[in-house]
Amino acid sequence: MHIDYPFIWTAFKFLLAAVPLTLLMTILPILFGFIIALLVTYIRLYKIKVLAAAAGAYVSFFRSTPAILHVMLIYLGIPVLIIKFGHIFGIGFNANKIPVFIFVIAALSLTAGAYLSEAVRSGILAVDTGEAEAGYAIGLTHSQVIRRIVLPQALFYALPNFVNLFGGFFHTTSIASIVAVPEITGKAIIAASNNYEFLEAYIAAAIIYWGITILFEWLAHLTDQKLSQLKGGIT
Amino acid sequence: MITIHNVHKAFGRHQVLKGIHLTVQKGEVVTILGPSGSGKTTLLRCINYLERPDEGQVEFGGKTIDYKHPSKKDILFLRRHTAMVFQQYNLFSHKNVLGNVTEGLTVARKIPKREAEEIAMAQLERVGLADKAGHYPNQLSGGQKQRVGIARALAINPDVILFDEPTAALDPELVGEVLEVLLEIAETGVTMIVVTHEMEFARRVSDHVIFMDQGIIVEEGSPHQIFHQSREERTKKFLHRVSPAYLYQQV
Repeated sequence: MHIDYPFIWTAFKFLLAAVPLTLLMTILPILFGFIIALLVTYIRLYKIKVLAAAAGAYVSFFRSTPAILHVMLIYLGIPVLIIKFGHIFGIGFNANKIPVFIFVIAALSLTAGAYLSEAVRSGILAVDTGEAEAGYAIGLTHSQVIRRIVLPQALFYALPNFVNLFGGFFHTTSIASIVAVPEITGKAIIAASNNYEFLEAYIAAAIIYWGITILFEWLAHLTDQKLSQLKGGIT
Repeated sequence: MITIHNVHKAFGRHQVLKGIHLTVQKGEVVTILGPSGSGKTTLLRCINYLERPDEGQVEFGGKTIDYKHPSKKDILFLRRHTAMVFQQYNLFSHKNVLGNVTEGLTVARKIPKREAEEIAMAQLERVGLADKAGHYPNQLSGGQKQRVGIARALAINPDVILFDEPTAALDPELVGEVLEVLLEIAETGVTMIVVTHEMEFARRVSDHVIFMDQGIIVEEGSPHQIFHQSREERTKKFLHRVSPAYLYQQV
């Protein structure tokens, strides 16, 4: 089979334009997911009855189903809900006007929230319970112990996990292409089918993912080193 | 003065404390001895409610608190008037030495930061660690960590300090520096309840010695009474078993 090498370069330049959107679709879900994870963590730590069960179900569901389904469920389900509630409350809101990538970011935020919740949870388990006891013993309240002793250390321990999840989510954004969001993979599909040069376009996309991931892993390595310096020891 | 009445505590079906009464006068040093599993540490942890007693009351600072149904305010009152020094030090590992000592002052007692730091530095001076104020716990030796733990307890100027085997986790050559600090603060009139295996410390420093076994106080009295004139067979047996003469008889 003939490979059109110059077209790989053409596609590469074309796909670079999709990098900002792809990064945005990685960063925003991680940020919103982090807020969700903090909420879930608070609910769990305070053992709020009904909410704790709901939080558990949420984390379980989103970690046990593929992200591509979350995108489909949100993309197809939310407009149905909007139309239904719009009908009840008499608000004529056109769900079709919402840009598609908003649905994708919402769906991926929920996915990220579930994974980050688990990362924070394992961080909390790594905190020495004796330190929480020492906090109580000097007269701190439960919420002061959580805010000042447990969470700062838990987030610190969870940091390497966060970094890994970030890398994972960068690749997960590619599923947005199934709802025609022009991120890297979505744009590669466009370039491929417009020019009938499929392999070339996907090679270009792969090079971009690879390059950015290498850059990212290098940053992760640096943070890891910094962390083990702070923690001490050889871990 | 602190008085506890009739403290009961069970872990599952295992009765760890079977009705403990204890009175500690202001400025007194009380040591609690006993074989492992006798409930000494649990008793100490019940006093400041790190363990929830099943029954009992504590009388303290003009208040009587029911251990069975304390309000959140009661629990905070108890903890803000007591301090604890732990076997494993339990320093806040994300805070430096100064931060460890000021935490209870600025956060729990709302003392302004500058004043809190002055108090903290004075206590670090007392335990000989003023020069380590900026260090983090993982940069300290065990003995230094425990001295920070003691400074953290002293800083909040508690009515009583609870010591849970403060030298048990230390390397032998580091026990001395911690004992030295303990002796110094005992002499300055700090009320102390000390669970310990340091017999010599108990003998020399205590005003009152308590011997516990299987969840009850078997015998109590002055160090002289306990170490030289004990009446109970269990006390004698225990003291014999921890004596060098017994430990080395088979060597």
